Amino acid sequence: MVVRIWEFFATPSMRLLACFLGGSVLLAVMTGSPGSSGAPTAGFKASLDSPRVIGFLVFGVVAWWLLTTLRRARSGGRSRLAVTGRATGRALADIWRRALEHPVARRIIGLVTLLVAAFVAVLVADFTGPYASNKLSFGYLGHQFSFNFTYGYLMFAVLLWALASRRVLEQLGLRSSARAQMSTGRGAALVIGCVLAALVFSLAANPWLAPDLHWSAIALTARGTSIFWQWPTYLWVVASLAIARRLLRTGDHPSRSTGPMRRAAFLTPQMTLALTVVALFVAVEWPKFLASYWQGDVTQQIGTYCLLALGLNVVVGFAGLLDLGYVAFYAVGAYTAAYFTGHLPVHPPFVLNMFAIIPIAIAAAMLAGVLLGIPTLRVRGDYLAIVTLGFGEIIEVYLNNATSYTNGAQGTIGYLPPFSIHFLGINYSWQFPNHGQSKILAYYYLLLAFLALAIFVFSSLNHSRVGRRWSAIREDEVAAASIGVNPLKYKVMAFAIGASTAGFAGIFTAANIGVLYPQSFVLQISILILALVIFGGMGSIVGVMVGAALFEFLLQYLQLHPFPGYLQQDYYMYLGALFIILMIYRPQGLIGSRRRGQEFRLAEQGVGFADPAGAEKSVVNQFEGSSFAMEGQGTSGEL
Amino acid sequence: MTSFIAIGLFTGFIYSLVALGYTLVYGILRLINFAHSEIFMCGAFGGYFYLRVFVNYQTPPSGAASVFWIGTGILVSGAIGGIMAIVLERFAYRPLRRRNAPPLTYLISAIGASYFLIYFVGKEFGYYQVALPQPYTNGPAFTVFGAEITTYNVIVMIAAVALLVFLDVTINHTKLGRGIRAVAQDTQMASLMGVNIDRTIATTFFLGGVLGGAAGFLFALSTGVSSTMGFVPALYAFTAAVLGGIGNIRGAMLGGLVLGIVQTVPIFWLQQIWYTEPIAFAVLIMLLIFRPTGLLGERLGRTA
Repeated sequence: MVVRIWEFFATPSMRLLACFLGGSVLLAVMTGSPGSSGAPTAGFKASLDSPRVIGFLVFGVVAWWLLTTLRRARSGGRSRLAVTGRATGRALADIWRRALEHPVARRIIGLVTLLVAAFVAVLVADFTGPYASNKLSFGYLGHQFSFNFTYGYLMFAVLLWALASRRVLEQLGLRSSARAQMSTGRGAALVIGCVLAALVFSLAANPWLAPDLHWSAIALTARGTSIFWQWPTYLWVVASLAIARRLLRTGDHPSRSTGPMRRAAFLTPQMTLALTVVALFVAVEWPKFLASYWQGDVTQQIGTYCLLALGLNVVVGFAGLLDLGYVAFYAVGAYTAAYFTGHLPVHPPFVLNMFAIIPIAIAAAMLAGVLLGIPTLRVRGDYLAIVTLGFGEIIEVYLNNATSYTNGAQGTIGYLPPFSIHFLGINYSWQFPNHGQSKILAYYYLLLAFLALAIFVFSSLNHSRVGRRWSAIREDEVAAASIGVNPLKYKVMAFAIGASTAGFAGIFTAANIGVLYPQSFVLQISILILALVIFGGMGSIVGVMVGAALFEFLLQYLQLHPFPGYLQQDYYMYLGALFIILMIYRPQGLIGSRRRGQEFRLAEQGVGFADPAGAEKSVVNQFEGSSFAMEGQGTSGEL
Repeated sequence: MTSFIAIGLFTGFIYSLVALGYTLVYGILRLINFAHSEIFMCGAFGGYFYLRVFVNYQTPPSGAASVFWIGTGILVSGAIGGIMAIVLERFAYRPLRRRNAPPLTYLISAIGASYFLIYFVGKEFGYYQVALPQPYTNGPAFTVFGAEITTYNVIVMIAAVALLVFLDVTINHTKLGRGIRAVAQDTQMASLMGVNIDRTIATTFFLGGVLGGAAGFLFALSTGVSSTMGFVPALYAFTAAVLGGIGNIRGAMLGGLVLGIVQTVPIFWLQQIWYTEPIAFAVLIMLLIFRPTGLLGERLGRTA
């Protein structure tokens, strides 16, 4: 009986239902009412009144009933509906099954269900209205009870649970996995479609975020107008569907990494996908509930450092090079922004919009990276560490002392302009017009978009030919060169990509904070970023993000609530100790990439090197390794 | 002009001493001991505490007493530096060596050690710069070609030359030095011949640490001590080691002197002191482009 309940929840119909409910409630919940004090409120802080709750529940129950009976009819169950319309049911089930088995039809069905789900989501969002709230309150025995939980979150949890339970069943052998995978694909597509649609709505529906974005359907929603017949709504829906399909396509092929490194994956592609969506959801929703201090922290510290760490991860994690002057590229980007907006003692030929400076800043940082990388990377991996360290130091000294160019320790002159759009009649600034403060959340979402882009690009790179070349160079530079990979080219490439990411982070910081001081670009920052990468896990994008979030949070938290005897600078002492401990016990980091972990293990057995510096590996190392070491020596002892 | 050369030369002596620490460790382990800057700093702190106990701030000793306090100060700071280097090797490097870890982990571990020490010392002793109690009275000693040589310069030169000779003799003419050279040349073979690898490596670290610590003391005599004092000189010293040919002992000595002069003399024309750092850096980059093996080539033990 228990099993049957589980199985019931594992059925596609249940998942469909959950999707409908979850997606739409989510949507309804997230298009919450605007707060009174300009702070964004959604979800938790509003209240869902009873007619809407009832409407919702009725809808849910009806949908559930229909779907389950259809399901029972298909499986020849004993429901009343099935008895009366068994023949029809069977025929339907037959068609359904055949359709599912047909590759094209399956995709069409997937798309259609997706579309329907999204459509319903939009409908429900519209029905429950922009000022819909989700606080369920009722009186009982003279007391007023109110529940602050969100249906959307609840439904989302149910949904995930349904997905997960299917997996559990599969592993117990209660369900054949081939079939399950097929429907999971669809289920996941639904989830993703709904959640994406919801996310986009939620994101843009925040009137606080976008008060003057007239073209946004969501802004209309926020003003109480129906979004149902606004064309951008459907643009969003189609876009989210497209993204969902794209995500699913990669999710359908679990065996993308073949070869000796292949092991049973910890997470199935579907689970990864679901987790990604959850993470995205949290990333979008969570900051709204934070106090403004933490919002600022999330934007200026965690977000920016995530970006920096992602960039450094390309250098340290993917290519296995050590860059200790990473902050210098950050400074290059930031000061490029200051230069082209005319906030340095030297005046630019023309003043540009912040968005227009992005490519320039990236190019400048990349150029610095290439110029620094080419002479250094030619020689040896560990020289790079020192040269970059020196470079970071030089940049700081230069910023501090070349007063006629950088205005020295006083920092940039005046306030740098914020990000703003003046294009085709759209005028939107990431700053409040009356008092020159940044819209923290607006910056946050901009950053989130860039982060998502960076994650996408870097993970694609890592799984592309370039990424494989990086791992080849990392593992054995000589062997890689012998099969036609140009180590210098790819090392410089990694270095330049890392540098340009930092350059971008620099311009973002410049626009967000408005004033730049040389003190913000000191070596400690480089080391901190390195710590994020190493702690989280070299080569693992998730790990790096986790590391960045955790460390930056800890840094801020300890500043606010120091334990007795803690000083702000002590953080670096603990970081230093952590470095040593990590290198001894877990060199691949907390959530290291599996490949990197494998490399470290193999290197310990004397096979391969795990980084380009390894080509110059110590004789002592080789000697103390296993018998493999002696074989390794002949091929790679001399470079 | 000549005074700039003189200044460069005397800073160069300190660089040479620190550079030797890099070179020795590199020669034997093929890794850059990133935390050497903190050995330098710890040595300086050792000297500082030693002098603070025995020497009065207001009335600096003179004559033989000065020589005695400086000499023993160098010994104490050298010993502290050496001990720190051994501790470092024991905790940050040896576990990795045991596990045959890739070089990247050594670098990271060394940075960790470096940061730990900087901030630990900072936490314990404060982050500000403190002057050493002067064990002598500084002043112009004599003039060479118009360059004024101060007592401090004389002290640095004598101490540095003594230490360099000491190291050269140790490496080239003692059993210990033979062991180090043997390990640098071929660890496996040296081990088969009965050289205790671990002990040799520890001794090498100790030697480098002694020189680094003593250099820290000499440096601190003029500039005082602070927890971050090691960083920049060590960067120069590394440049010097590469300039001379990393792994090459005499190269490190020469590289230090050359770098000291090369980075000081242009200040004569540029008139701005902060250019020293960019110059040193430019030297390093140029070197890596045109002669990555340094002036005398990289070889420790290979032919020495």
